Amino acid sequence: MKNDLPMNRNGFLLPLALVLVLAGCKPAAPAIAARNYPVHGVVQAVAADQLHATIKHDAIPGYMAAMTMAFTARDARVLAGVSAGDEIAFTLFVTETNDWIDNVQRLGRTNVFGLSGPPGWHIAEPALEVGDTLPDYAFTDETGQPVHFSDFRGRPVAFTFFFTSCSLPDYCPRMNRNLAETRKLLLAATNAPAGWQLLSISFDPGMDTPRLLSSYAQLYRGSNADHWRFAVASTNTLAALGPKVDLNLWRESGTLSHNLRTVVLDARGKIFRQFDGNDWTPQQLADALVAAAGN
Amino acid sequence: MDRNAVAASQNREEPLFRGIVLALAVVVGAGCWFAAAALSRHDRIRGVLPDHPRQLADFSLTDSTGRSVTRAELAGKIVVASFLFTGCGLTCPEVSRRMAEIQRLTTNEPDVRLVSFTVDPRSDTPPVLARWGARYGADTNRWFLLTGSRPALHQLIGVSFLATNASDPFNSMPGNFTGTGLIAVVDRHGQVRIFFDGLRLETAAAVVAEIQQLRNEK
Repeated sequence: MKNDLPMNRNGFLLPLALVLVLAGCKPAAPAIAARNYPVHGVVQAVAADQLHATIKHDAIPGYMAAMTMAFTARDARVLAGVSAGDEIAFTLFVTETNDWIDNVQRLGRTNVFGLSGPPGWHIAEPALEVGDTLPDYAFTDETGQPVHFSDFRGRPVAFTFFFTSCSLPDYCPRMNRNLAETRKLLLAATNAPAGWQLLSISFDPGMDTPRLLSSYAQLYRGSNADHWRFAVASTNTLAALGPKVDLNLWRESGTLSHNLRTVVLDARGKIFRQFDGNDWTPQQLADALVAAAGN
Repeated sequence: MDRNAVAASQNREEPLFRGIVLALAVVVGAGCWFAAAALSRHDRIRGVLPDHPRQLADFSLTDSTGRSVTRAELAGKIVVASFLFTGCGLTCPEVSRRMAEIQRLTTNEPDVRLVSFTVDPRSDTPPVLARWGARYGADTNRWFLLTGSRPALHQLIGVSFLATNASDPFNSMPGNFTGTGLIAVVDRHGQVRIFFDGLRLETAAAVVAEIQQLRNEK
């Protein structure tokens, strides 16, 4: 009877070994008892490995509604010779844990390459051009008061976009440094038009409160606020104004990616000049404001 | 007494036997696991197939040197395509680093071209794109950074490559494009075959493997 003890231990080890072996080999084991469904569809794409295809298929009665999805073949021969646009019949095999297609037959070709592009796709609203009238928009300025482009009718105005969290020296800070220089030039200029105006518009309404704008403005403007206001745009305003002046905004991973747009409006609110990017000088902007006044 | 002696000797042998069985089980099990992993090739980085059939549409654009580039120039080439705008602070630099790596890995392969399309052409003029390209070591004979009119670029990208989602204009790339971190591989017939995540380091090798597979097609 005492001999049974070690025997029992070994008897426990052998099943353990078997379990380990089976666990390791399980993925390669052939599936059993697969259900199968005949399917009809149009191939949308075939991967270069010939093992995967996106197929827009009809309803599979008892299993799946009509949809476009990716299917897997177990062997590259299954999808050999099949390409996007082929109308096919195939068998879908399904087990508890796996599915694959087989018995693919080409039935014909469908012209799937339309010229119109994917459904729902459209060209974004085109930007306005020089000479076009910019519609009026409302912003909130650094004192918490509303400010509109139309407030400056009868005077030339230059506006640019920024946000206070922008840390790249060549981006928003450069725009506001340029406006500061432009203001200096015009304050000293004898030909400066009456009532010329600068406006820095933040596109970060979640962060840039009037209070924050006010202290940020101080950095660039000092205590003298003449001819230069800071404001913040709402999301709705940005959605409407952005495309008109080709301002691009992209909130990605908690930060804002954007391009740089600086626009000069003449006394009637028409776009007089647009400066794209950061490769322009304060003198050019000052000159544009002077010229816009005479427009 | 004798029985005790036998039991004692069996007890001395038992750990050795148990060790051998366990070691065998582990070795065979691990072997099977590796074999299974090697057989299921799709465990490596998987690309995403196009949402619907997409073909590189005709285009005529300008590269960073000011030269005109048309689709005809890419005929018969395997094309690796990406998307950018130079004001983009996170995604685009990372994708461009990936493109630079793919350029390096395909240095001696004359049938491969790399193409990056800007979605912000008014900002991204040829000189601006030239500065961007220089930052990533773009060989302007093999890696074209393309600009042109905004409608032409957006139409090309929308028809040939990327899906759009206009529900929140600020949460997608300019032009309302989504999936802009993707790198597309286009076969010699101009068919867009697969997309890889341009933000993943492994994508450079995956694109090169895809190119090799496409080259082996008839």
